[in-house]
Amino acid sequence: MGARSSFKLEFLKKWALGLKICSSLAKDMSFLERKKAIKLSADVAMASARDGTTCWSRALIANASKQDDKKIIVRTMLGSEFKKITKSSSSGSFKPEKRVRSKKILRRSCAITRIRKTATKRVLACSIAKRLVKKRTQVLKGIVPGGESMDEVSLLEETLDYILSLQAQVDVMRGFANTQVLSNPK
Amino acid sequence: MERIPGSGVRSGNCRDNKQEISVEIFQIGEEIRRLMTENLLQEAPRPETGSSFTALLGLPENQAMELLNSPESYDSPAILTADIWRERGKDQKTLSYPFNCSPTFPSNAALVERAARFSIFAAAQNSPQTSSVPSNSSENSLKLKNETTDSESNPTILNKNQISLKRKERQKKGLAKKSKNMGDESSKLPYVHVRARRGHATDSHSLAERARREKINARMKLLQELVPGCSKISGTALVLDEIINHVQSLQREVEFLSMRLAAVNSRIDFNLDSLLAAESGSLTDGNFPGMVMPSMWPDVPVNGTRRQQHHNQHQQLWHVDVGRDNHNFISQPNSLFSYDSTN
Repeated sequence: MGARSSFKLEFLKKWALGLKICSSLAKDMSFLERKKAIKLSADVAMASARDGTTCWSRALIANASKQDDKKIIVRTMLGSEFKKITKSSSSGSFKPEKRVRSKKILRRSCAITRIRKTATKRVLACSIAKRLVKKRTQVLKGIVPGGESMDEVSLLEETLDYILSLQAQVDVMRGFANTQVLSNPK
Repeated sequence: MERIPGSGVRSGNCRDNKQEISVEIFQIGEEIRRLMTENLLQEAPRPETGSSFTALLGLPENQAMELLNSPESYDSPAILTADIWRERGKDQKTLSYPFNCSPTFPSNAALVERAARFSIFAAAQNSPQTSSVPSNSSENSLKLKNETTDSESNPTILNKNQISLKRKERQKKGLAKKSKNMGDESSKLPYVHVRARRGHATDSHSLAERARREKINARMKLLQELVPGCSKISGTALVLDEIINHVQSLQREVEFLSMRLAAVNSRIDFNLDSLLAAESGSLTDGNFPGMVMPSMWPDVPVNGTRRQQHHNQHQQLWHVDVGRDNHNFISQPNSLFSYDSTN
């Protein structure tokens, strides 16, 4: 529990920092803007609490800093770490897209020839199972930030880490929301 | 080992019954074999051997115990799954022979008939009485048995069958252990030294593939433990389904919570006290006194020195706060923070 609670504290610190920055930037925000700001700072805080050790955190920050208005927030939140994190994540993103595209073409052409070959039921069942698993892994890659450029093994590791930190994030936010409700009964 | 006196005398009587006995015992042996394979295939050394036997027996247990407790002077026949006992005995060392073994075979025809009906005896209770255990297939018992004249012909029929069964079980167990060990090895070491298993391909490609697959399976197991409700599911695709659902639900919750927070306060700069107080409630208490003080001060960057200054002042507040409700803390006057007008 020690590691988890230290992670939560880190997250909380950075989140509060991010919220302060957001509020200082724009005084009056609409509901949606507020929500987005909260979410953004929460996500970035979660990612930076991981300190760039995991792939998904770097990818999250990279995604967040793509849009200009968010970039400022992110940069001020992270401070010095920002450069470190963005550097390490920038290189790996381009190649897998091309790989994916060519794989699709290949796969289609192969599937046609393959279907004629596979006659036995068992082989068919295996191929169906493999196809299902592949679909699922594709979906998972879409969900986990930065999942595109990972192979299966590291994808599973990243999901593990991501799930843990998401849970911690949810816990902290929920606790905070409850105290807010308690302190401001309307 | 107790020898029952008068065994020699009895042997004379028994020669007539030998053939009957042998037939009956063979039938019993078949039953035993069937039950053994059923039981052992289900697996594992169970800590309570007695219960498994009673499970095996079911109804006849009571009657078996009756038999055991019968006041007759000779041994109550106990034609046994001695193999099972011995296997379990090796594993857990709880049972060697539940009964005091005497090698003499059931000589009384009536007793043998009863034995034929109730084939296996529960080893659950240690019966103080002497009852014979014609333990068939082990070396020790063979020696003992050979000393008596009755038991020569009969066990031999059962011997061979049960010996072969025993070997099969041992092989199965051995294989299972091997595979387990291999799995452990590959998940622990950074360099995987995988020995090719019997009947599998040995080229480097398939070895590497197998190592990779085992890595993936190890990760999947961890994920299964993490995601609630996943441990029962078998099959990669379904487990991945559950994982995806879980991640999506967590992400949705984050969005929902941020919406809720946005709805509660019209301005974002929240009450920092409540933030800290929320943390004191949610984190475990043991961490707090030793923890680094949260350094969220307005307009102050994360700075080590400032932390120290404020640390002492807030130490008391924190100690007070631990264990109390959050809203109590918030209501206390706080000199350093100014309460934001949240409405």
